[in-house]
This record gives sequence, structure tokens and C-alpha cells, in this order.
Amino acid sequence: MFQPDRITVFDGGFGSELERRGLSGIPEDLNITRPEEIAAIHRAYSCADIITTNTFGLNRIKYSGEFSIEEVAAQAVKNARAANKPVFFDVGPTGAMLRPLGSLTFDQAYDAFSEIAQIADRLADGFICETFSDLYEFKACILAIREHSKKPLFATMTFDGTGRTLTGSTPEIVANTLSGLCVDALGVNCSLGPRELVPIVRRLLDSTDLPIIVQPNRGLPVLEGGKTVYKLGIDEFEESISEMVEMGVSIIGGCCGTTPEFIERISRFSGSAVRPRSFTPKTAINSSAKLVGIDGVKICGERLNPTGKKLLKQALADGDYDYLIDEAIRQQDCGADLLDINVGLPQLNERAVMPEAITKVQEYCDLPLQIDSSDPAAIEAGARYYNGIPLINSVNGDEESMSAIFPIAKKYGAVVLGLTMDKNGVPETVGGRVEIAKRIISRAEDFGIPRHKIMIDTLVVTASAEQERVSVTLGALEEVHRLGVKTALGVSNVSFGLPNRPLLNRTFLVMAMTKGLNMPILNPLDSEMTGAVRAFGVLSAIDKNSESYIDIYKDYTPASASSAAPAVSKQAEKPAETLYESVVRGLKNRAGELCEAELKTKPPLEVVNEILIKALDEVGREYESGKLFLPQLVSAAEAAKAAFAVVGEYMPKNAGPKGMVILATVKGDVHDIGKNIVKVVLQSYGYSIVDLGKDVPPDKVVEAYERYKPLAVGLSALMTTTVRSMEETIKALRAVDCRSYIFVGGAVLNAETAARIGADYYTKDALGFAKKLAELTDEEK
Amino acid sequence: MNFSDLRPNIYNYLGFRGVKESPETDSEIKSCLEELETLAQFNYLYKAFEEPPEFLKKQPYAGFLRGSGGVILSVMTLGAGVDIRINRLNRTDMSRAVVLDACASAYLEYRSDEYERSIGENLSSRFCPGYGGSPLSDLKFIFGLLHPEKIGVTLSESLFMLPAKSMAGVIGIGGGGKKSCGGCIMLADCTYRKEGRRCFSQTE
Repeated sequence: MFQPDRITVFDGGFGSELERRGLSGIPEDLNITRPEEIAAIHRAYSCADIITTNTFGLNRIKYSGEFSIEEVAAQAVKNARAANKPVFFDVGPTGAMLRPLGSLTFDQAYDAFSEIAQIADRLADGFICETFSDLYEFKACILAIREHSKKPLFATMTFDGTGRTLTGSTPEIVANTLSGLCVDALGVNCSLGPRELVPIVRRLLDSTDLPIIVQPNRGLPVLEGGKTVYKLGIDEFEESISEMVEMGVSIIGGCCGTTPEFIERISRFSGSAVRPRSFTPKTAINSSAKLVGIDGVKICGERLNPTGKKLLKQALADGDYDYLIDEAIRQQDCGADLLDINVGLPQLNERAVMPEAITKVQEYCDLPLQIDSSDPAAIEAGARYYNGIPLINSVNGDEESMSAIFPIAKKYGAVVLGLTMDKNGVPETVGGRVEIAKRIISRAEDFGIPRHKIMIDTLVVTASAEQERVSVTLGALEEVHRLGVKTALGVSNVSFGLPNRPLLNRTFLVMAMTKGLNMPILNPLDSEMTGAVRAFGVLSAIDKNSESYIDIYKDYTPASASSAAPAVSKQAEKPAETLYESVVRGLKNRAGELCEAELKTKPPLEVVNEILIKALDEVGREYESGKLFLPQLVSAAEAAKAAFAVVGEYMPKNAGPKGMVILATVKGDVHDIGKNIVKVVLQSYGYSIVDLGKDVPPDKVVEAYERYKPLAVGLSALMTTTVRSMEETIKALRAVDCRSYIFVGGAVLNAETAARIGADYYTKDALGFAKKLAELTDEEK
Repeated sequence: MNFSDLRPNIYNYLGFRGVKESPETDSEIKSCLEELETLAQFNYLYKAFEEPPEFLKKQPYAGFLRGSGGVILSVMTLGAGVDIRINRLNRTDMSRAVVLDACASAYLEYRSDEYERSIGENLSSRFCPGYGGSPLSDLKFIFGLLHPEKIGVTLSESLFMLPAKSMAGVIGIGGGGKKSCGGCIMLADCTYRKEGRRCFSQTE
């Protein structure tokens, strides 16, 4: 039916055919209500090698017709069989946005696709999953089908004129991810006309050895006499398809606007030999927006790990991911290429926390991640919910470890980091370690994992305890490098127990890079370490024309070297002289320093009352009189917040902040910029905030209320449709006899609506919230 | 793209009530617009109908479309990258998040106007479900007819589109189409109107 070395032709546009025949309504329902006409369209496409069912919108999230999914699927396949050709079941996206941008969970999407997969597996000869634009949703779909069917699975996404999917994935990212998930063919459909797809197809062909499928639109439609019509001619369509066949495409067909005549024409390619193409596999991992090829030297940030970090431990134990997210962003800003993530704490359920931590970090930081755990179940949970192709840390030479980890790596397409040790410990010789590396590589092959998906860590020893063996690590690294696999080392381990650790770390890093180290795992906030990597790039000619080195150090002065983060401040112009001024002008970097200076001579409360509050009052007055604007108000609030953070360190422990406020954007609503402005402004006045985020169900708000018994609860809703869910949240709070003030805000609210839905106060903006709250607390006193 | 074309709209969204000058904000806006030029992935989808679909035969659409010879339904988006970026800025630089959010809204309007001009002449302004008291649930009809998931635009149960910087519009062919405030749910509380302005460009 499908021979990878022969050109296969798929059918063309279905929607446009329905229209041409005057068939309207829910397309999937037409399978049952107009079976003859649907079968006639399929027959018209019988010149194709494979026929696609009319089931694009058939999943429980999207389908709104009157029949059961099972009934529609059965009839759709029956109609398609009229063409007397193999039938592939068409699977389209859910039409809903996955978290974090939307409300749909990965599991909900997976369940919807699983239902389809189970039904269609019995009926059709294969699956074509098409027109997806979100890589994460596509992963849910592909896993669902792979876990319920062994039939061929072709997968295509849509790209825009900039060569990216709507969620920002490049062709290389799409190819790396889909190849990793072991589809049978991957490619592009819909999107653009055939000519515009050529560059995208070229990039796909260069990024995978899997067969490539292309189903273009018939160009872009134009408006003509009050109708949208496709104008691209058959000859031009064929010409572009022919060009793509020459390039090495294996499977061709059409999408919107193409008709049986188009498919008839390109069916002349059917059965001819697929053009061979050269492809060099690369070790690469990716998120949905960034692909990192492990070549040259890539920095893996080590700081998402609670070992030795009291604050992170506490935060993870409290289910608070803010610390983790901020740490991820900081490492990215300091030049990390990927991040190790480890949540191994005795009191944590790692299997539940790992996927949660990964999704939280991926929401804000687009670097690829290295999933670090000693528990295979935690690794599997992490790999499943990870968006993209992760690196797994780690496997070792023990059969037990390999047979647990390799199936996970294979299933999720992960790259695996192998440690040169086994149940007998870490070999003392170079030969012993290389031997384990070879064992890992060869055993991986048994599981269908190619060499380029393996990396090896030859294990750093501490120089204080085993000085002689530092050279063993490096010797083994050099030999492993010659085996053609990429290498990694946890560099900082070398200096335990010795003074001036940074010096040893840096020197060891340079020694290791000269032996072929590809991925040091280190602290990217240490600018001397990242600096050594940059310098090595220049001196080893990896960094062509020293471009990235120059880019990083062009503004270098010895004074700027002391700060770890790249010193970029957009408000660098004229420095503020006083704390008061820094708040009024919204200079948040400066506010912290100046506050520190003030605290040397004044008690904390005086700094708060005499400087910070007064500055905020001035900003508030200026804002209300229209002299200052929202962005400046927010900047001032951010500056005051930075100062408050410093004050907090000087306050006696029992003084605490002014009071706590819980904030949430209500269920069904994901617009949270207004809520976030309120958060910053309230923080600037010294309130502590529990931010429950967006799309928050009533019971979560109630749970937080009962846990924190805050001063106030602030609820936000942007849409008329979500005011209802705000009302439900207030009811739920009243039901537990909520004693906190309930504030509401959002574009469509006013005092009247607020009263009607049972809120205590409506505020039109963040400043109003802060003022009202101050009034209320003054009254209480 | 011309900064001065977008500036009034951006100031509108930022709530700069009639104020002319803010050099700091101007430079932040310029830098946000520069960022949007590479970040945004403007995409659209449209379909023309000689006979308006059923849901457009009620008010306020019927009035808006009076005198036009056909109707175009259209969905436009800046893509998810903008949402992701604003989301991150919410954490790292709230002030820029506010400005970028406003710029993105104005940029979407601008790109949409530009593309509408490119598809045909003599088209009316764009009327979006939600304007003039029209129910947001009409978006469902547009989604049923256009399948905007092809360009990655989704409709949530609460009837907002995602990516957030997306719009759906109704456009009259050959006449019709002035926007007005009549019937708008915000009419009583509208801060724009209180200042004698409108949330839409009045030159249309």
C-alpha cells in the first residue's frame, strides 16, 4: 500500500468539492445525511493511491453534529471505500487551544484523539493527521494514535509565510519532534500555495530521513465578483510538485482549492522512484520554539535542582513554582542553551511534580530541557508532558537501568545521557569507562535508538579526594568523543572541598573542552565559566569570525565584568540620585541599590513611610490627573516592589507585610494582564500576593482562601461570558462564609454588575484597588 | 509600517486620555513595534458570500450591511508567539508587557486593514461580533464557515479567540458599513465616549 521508496499520491481538497456540489452543513454529518454525494467525491479522487476520509473535525472536542463519533467514522470509511483504494482516516486538530495559552489540558486532547484512534484503527488502513499548528497538541495526537494503533501514521502541519507554525516552530523543530515520535511520514499541508512551500519543504528534507509529504493549497484565494476563488492553474501546480519530487519528496497531494483534475494530473508521478537524498543525523533536542544541536560546546544550566538550595526546596514543597521559573529565566538570560531540571526531594512525589515543573518552566522559558531523575517513572512522566524532544539524564551501563530508560527514550524520541558506570561503580581506568560507553551505545541500538541520540558523561571526580583520576575522566572523554557520540560533564563537581572553587572549575572546563566536551553542565550565572566557553569558541574556530563572542563582549569593560548578567538596562540614561526619584521615574534596577543605601542610615519603617509610600502617592496623583500613564505607573510600581524586597530583608521577622491578597482570573478566562498589573501595584504598596493565575476554578479560589485567610480576594474577568464564572466563584466563597473583602475588576464590569454578582467592591483600575484597600485597613485600625 | 499611523491607536489602548506627548512611552512603543515585526506571524483567512449567511440577517449586521452586494467573513491573527512573549514579560518586565500588549492590538488592526485593502476595492469597514451589542456567540457561525483552525485560531467555550491577538470580522462588499456605538454593552460606562472619543477610528 505504502512503499517508502515509491512516490505515493494522496487525494485533494474536500471542502471545496463539497461547496462545488452545493453541500453545506457540518461536513462530518454529510457522511450520513448525503452518503452518495460524499462517495461520489471520493470516487472522483480514485486516481490517487490513498483516499482520505471526510472526518477532519471528528473529535469530541470539536464535533458538534447530531450523530455519535462511532457512527460517523464508520460511514465515512464506508464512503471512502467507494473509490476502491486504501483509505486513511483523516484526523484534524481539536480547534481548542492547549494550556498554557488556552484551557485545554494535554490529557483532554490525548483522550479525544485516543477515542478516534481506537475507532478508526478497526476501520481504516492508516491515519493522516493534518493541518495542525500547535506542536504540543500534535504530540498528544500522535501519542494517542501510536498507543492505540500499529497502522501507518502520516503527520502534517501548517506553516505561514515566515516559515513557522502558528506557535512558532520552524521546519527543523517540526522534523526533529515528529521524527522522534516515530511517525511514518511527515510534512506540510494547507498553509500556502505550492511555490511558497518549496523553501519549507527543502528545510524539512534536510532535517529528517523520514519520507516527506506535501499537500499544498491551490495558491491563495482571490476575491472575484463577490466570491472567493482559487486561480492557480493546473500547470503551475504540477510544475511546483514536480520540483518538490525532484528534491526528494515521497508523498504528494492537494489541500484547499485543489480538485480531482489536479490530482489526476500529479498522479503521473505515482509509483516512480523517490529521489535519494543525503542526510546527516544530528544530536539535537528542542522545545516548541528552540532547537539546540549539540555541536561545538553548548551550556546546560544546572540550577533547577533543589540539592543544596534551601529556598528552592521550600518552594517546591509548597507547590510554588515561581522560584523555579525565575531561576530558569535567569539562566537563559545569562546564556544557557538548555537547562537541567531535577525535583528529587524525599518529601516530594517526583512522578507528579516533574511534569508539573516542566510545564510551568516551559510556559515562560523556551530553552530545551534535560529531565534529570533517578526514577524512571518520573522521567517518563516528564518526557510525556514535555513539549518537544528532551534530553534524559540519565541511564548507566547497568542492564536494569538500560532496560528501564531506553524504551522511554525511544517512545518520546528523547536523547539520552549515558553515565560510564554500572552496578560495580565507576571504573578506575579509561578503558573501563569507554567499555561501558560502548555497552550503552550498543544496547541502545537494540531498542532502535541510533548513536546520535546518545550522549556520554565520563563522570567527574572531586580533585580533593581523587586527584589522580581527573585525568581518567578526561582520557575517557577523549576516547568517547572519537566514537562519534557527543559528550557531557558535570563540571562543578571537580572542585568540592577545595578553596577558590571557581578557579578550579574554570580550568577544568577548559581542559575538558580541548578533549572534546560538548555539553558542560554548569552554573550559567558564573560569567567566568560562560566566558571560558565563549573564548573557547573563538580559539577553536567553532565561533566563525568570532561573531557571537564579539556580540557578547563588544561593550566589555573591566568594571562590567563583575556582574554575572549581561548588563543591559533600558533606563541607562541618567541615573536617579535618590530612592524617591528612582521610584517616581520607575527605575527598578536602581531602586534596589538606593534602598539599600537608605537603610544604612534609616530604620526600615521610615524608608517605607517617608520615601516609598510618598513616592507612590505622587505617582498615583500624577496618574489620576493624566500626567503619568499606565506604563509609567507600572514601572514605578515595579521599582517600589524592588525596593520593598530589600526592605523586607531588614524588617524584623514578625513584622511581616501589610497583608495578603489572593488574585485570580476566573475560570474560562485566560486574559490576565489586568490582574498582573494589579499584582505589581499591590506589591508596590507592600501587600503580599498569592497569584492563582488564570482560568482558575472556584474551588481553587476557595481552597486558597481557606489556606491563607487573606485580607482580600481580587477576581478578574475580561469577557461578558466569564462574568458568570466570577459570580460562581463569589457564591462559592460566600458558601464558606468568606470574611475577606471580595474585589472584582475587568473590562466589562461596573459597580452595578459587581453588586449584582455579590462582590464587595468594584475597582476600575489597579490604583483604585490599592487605595480602597488602604481605606479599609485604616478603618479597621 | 508607519509609527505615526499606529501611535494614536496605541495611546488609545494604553488609556492616554487625550494626552499628546510622552517621549519615554514613544521610545518604548517604537521598540515594541520593532519587536513585533519579527515576532508577529500575521495570518488570515477569508471567504466571500454573495448571499449573507443566516446569522447576518439580524441586527445590527443587517443595518451595517445595508446597501452592500455581498459579504466577506474574515479571521486574522498575529500568532501565538506574541501571547507567549507577553506572558513572559508579565513576569520579567510588566511595564513593557503593558506597552507590547497595546502595540500588538494596534498592529493587528493595522495589518488587517492592510490585507483587506489588498484583497479588493470598495469594501466596508470591519464589523466584529461583540460590536454594537451583537452576541459573541456569532463567532461560532464564523468558525463553522471558515474553519480558522487552519491558521491556528481557536474559539474557547467562553467565546474568546486564541491566540489572544486574533480578530474575526464581517465586511460588506460594495458599500455599507459604518461603525457606531448604538447597542454596545459598554455604552453606559465607556471611558472613550466620556472623553468624546470612540474606540474605533472615526475616519473610516
